[in-house]
Amino acid sequence: MASYSFQAENIQICVIMVGLPARGKSLIAQKIVRYLTWLSIRAKCFNVGNYRRLETAHPTAEFFDVNNSEGERLRKLAAEAAIRDMFRWFDHEQGVVGILDATNTTKSRRNWILDLCRKRNVEPMFVESWCDDEDLIMQNIMDVKTTSPDYVGQDPEKAALDFRNRIRNYEKVYETISERDLTYVKLINVGSQVIINRIQSYLESRIVYYLMNLHIKPRCIWLSRHGESAFNLVGKIGGDSDLSERGREYARQLPRLVKMSVGDRPLTVWTSTLKRTQQTAKYLPYRQLTWKALDELDAGQCDGLTYEEIENRYPDDFAARDENKYEYRYPGGESYRDVVVRLEPIIMELERQENIMIVTHQAVLRCIYAYFMNVPQDQSPWMEVPLHTLIQLEPKAYGTEVIRIKADIPAVSTYREKGQSAKIKK
Amino acid sequence: MLSLSSDSSRSPSPSVSISSEDRDRPPSPMANIPSSGMSSFSPSGLSTFHADLATSPITGGFAQMHLSPSSFTAQLRTQSAGSKYLRRQSSSVDEDAIHDALSPTHVSPAQLYSTESGRLFHAGKICIVLVGLPARGKTHLAVSLTRYLRWLGVKTHAFHLGDYRRVHLTPGKDVPDDYFLVNASPSTVILRQRVMAACKADVYRFFEEDRGQVAIYDAVNPTSAGRRVLVKEFSQRGIQTLFIESICDKPEIIEANVRSVKISSPDYIGWDEKEAIMHYLKRISDKIPHYETLDEPEFSYIKLYNAGERILLNNSRVGYLPNRIVFYLMNLHIKAGCVYFARAGKATELRPRYKSDPHLSDEGRAYARVLTDTLLAHRRSEHTARSAHGDNSPERELIIWTSTRRRTIETAAEFAKRGFYCRQRPQLSQMHPGSCDGLSGEEIEEQFPGEVEMHKKDPYRHRFPRAESYHDLAVRLEPVILEMERIPNDILIVAHVSVLRVLYGYLMACSPFDIPALDFERNEIVEIIPSAYNNKVKRIKIYGVEESATL
Repeated sequence: MASYSFQAENIQICVIMVGLPARGKSLIAQKIVRYLTWLSIRAKCFNVGNYRRLETAHPTAEFFDVNNSEGERLRKLAAEAAIRDMFRWFDHEQGVVGILDATNTTKSRRNWILDLCRKRNVEPMFVESWCDDEDLIMQNIMDVKTTSPDYVGQDPEKAALDFRNRIRNYEKVYETISERDLTYVKLINVGSQVIINRIQSYLESRIVYYLMNLHIKPRCIWLSRHGESAFNLVGKIGGDSDLSERGREYARQLPRLVKMSVGDRPLTVWTSTLKRTQQTAKYLPYRQLTWKALDELDAGQCDGLTYEEIENRYPDDFAARDENKYEYRYPGGESYRDVVVRLEPIIMELERQENIMIVTHQAVLRCIYAYFMNVPQDQSPWMEVPLHTLIQLEPKAYGTEVIRIKADIPAVSTYREKGQSAKIKK
Repeated sequence: MLSLSSDSSRSPSPSVSISSEDRDRPPSPMANIPSSGMSSFSPSGLSTFHADLATSPITGGFAQMHLSPSSFTAQLRTQSAGSKYLRRQSSSVDEDAIHDALSPTHVSPAQLYSTESGRLFHAGKICIVLVGLPARGKTHLAVSLTRYLRWLGVKTHAFHLGDYRRVHLTPGKDVPDDYFLVNASPSTVILRQRVMAACKADVYRFFEEDRGQVAIYDAVNPTSAGRRVLVKEFSQRGIQTLFIESICDKPEIIEANVRSVKISSPDYIGWDEKEAIMHYLKRISDKIPHYETLDEPEFSYIKLYNAGERILLNNSRVGYLPNRIVFYLMNLHIKAGCVYFARAGKATELRPRYKSDPHLSDEGRAYARVLTDTLLAHRRSEHTARSAHGDNSPERELIIWTSTRRRTIETAAEFAKRGFYCRQRPQLSQMHPGSCDGLSGEEIEEQFPGEVEMHKKDPYRHRFPRAESYHDLAVRLEPVILEMERIPNDILIVAHVSVLRVLYGYLMACSPFDIPALDFERNEIVEIIPSAYNNKVKRIKIYGVEESATL
């Protein structure tokens, strides 16, 4: 890299997935999109299979035989359509990272995409998922493909068999990436070996680091706010107050609730450095770690005021916050965007870990939830996350399952709708 | 050390020296900590704090010790176990501390949490064994990795076999001619084995006595058989092994390495440049026929090609650390640019409050202009000097990073006007003062006497109510640090002094004890020049700006 030009700030990366079917490409692609979107980096996935399905909804394995010229032609058309859409998105929708989700298993196909990217000044980065672990592959096939739109309505056994034949057709022409001058990362058997070649930018290294930390072991994440606090009772925001009587009751009930949900699985509890989360977690019989990054959004000058007081003292600010709650930064304080920036190491650590329970605050919880549930920026700051509720998240192949467990302990609502000052509902 | 309220005016208290033992040591800028930093504390409170340091038996006898790489192991040997590890003298923060030994109770600048065993991430004891021919950048890799891992709180130490070799030769006597040859005489072989044994003994002592977590064993390690022996020996002591091989197939990288190694390695002091390069390349070619690249599939290893162009990670059973190391390696550059540190100008508030985020005063704007002129003039003269010496490498582009606070942005405005790229980074905002915002030193002592006591005991990790600590800052600044490693440009960072302290602490491997006391005057630009073996500091004076309090 002779000169680091600052067009890096206007960088556009095309992540090109490579690999046989049932290697987890789509899962990886979607996780990348979710991660980058959460960091406010515009990312989008373009799945060639979806484009192909518009023409050919239920192909058999023969469709994918390289000698089937009609099949070849239609598949090429689908790829072209996907790429066209992707470049349109780069040009007109300020796209930053576009992901082309397809098998892209031959050198010639990859070269073709490479040419297109270079002409448009988009940086190409290949991500190859290579797997020869039969169990993993079979599991993938069972989980996803038999519920795929291609096989809707068909007998799962037959579908799996047909899918296996489809894979065999791909295998005949598969050329793993070996071109030394390309930017690529090759994940072999879910990361037991990783090859990283010619990473060009910090953003690319972040994507690679993220991929290296992913694992596919089943696990759950539990989220809870602290128990009702003294400040909650009077409608004040911020501060470092103690729990109220009902909050303390929640802390006492929490171990039972958690045990019901977690069972005998090992668990680690993460809290913030503020008293109310630590008091909430103090009866939990698990290893506990405190993270400053889990502290509540800093309200700056408005810390310790009620929403009514804020509306009276800083009416312009109050209105501005409603306009764009995600970007609005309290004077001398933080915005939701700032919270996301400081939460990023937590998210990375969460991806690496197995079972974790986080006891934190309203804004922080909204951000973490938004990451797992892919909630867009204009909605996440307005999500309702009531007190005295344990949320269980179970990340699965194509989405995350959510279970909300309410403790039967009443609490005030700290939820404020747009344009209103907080109404304390007791 | 109170660093929360910024820019308060300096009190007229007299400067208090750190310790009486320092009389013999030549004065250095860092020794002025009391006068510049302590205006918020009453002088008596200050000297109590530093008097403890002065009379401590550990620091007493070490005033004269100069820790250069070659003398390091010699020092280790001549001291008794009790005094082996010293607390760093504040006045030597201008030297890269990366080669210093860590005390058993050392806690790192960005350590996320402490554990009973002192070992983090439940990864146990790990030895990173470097593999690679000479001039492949192994030592640079060892030094950089040590810096980064220590920063994260992983108790790390690099053991360079070359250092042990130098120590085992009596001063004045040369290495035997056949030392680097494979078919050496029996006496040479015995010498070589003694050297290796001495190095390994220190490695084990590091793990067992000092609760070290990661040891980096920097040597060629050319044969598969030799490596297997190492793995077995380590595993018998409960130490996991991670190999990192540095492979180079581009001659220009190798030659550039030789040239820079020749300059900074103790082996070739006084040699003629051409002779040194030839001698070094001969050393390499003597080993080449007997070099076996890493190929053992059951080992955990990272192969680094051409200084990071390509990275292969195999079998990362040791968990968190290899991933983190690979992330760092993806961003590591051998030819990093310089980093300049400058403070923001004076603001319209005498003691700027965090919450009000004031603008620059007129004086501050004048400072911004002088700062810009000084830095650009300095860079021009450096470039001229380099060309005069035959170094025709082009001047690296300068970029500016500021925080999102107004006075840093406005300080950099002059650069922006002249077309330099300026980027605002929220992570560079100053340490949050919490409840101490806008309070003077006396007011803080009045309102939070208990906190002040605790702060004196641990200025690095202690948090005032609702405030951040230096440790929080360090964790927050990690993405900035990694980007700094990756960008080949020269970077000017305009930020609050609390942030500059942490970043400087990373580049110069300062201990948490020193970081809160680091000095950054307004009439200086601090320049850090990276080099393979250690980073160097230069201070550029800004004329026309008066000295000011560091707060």
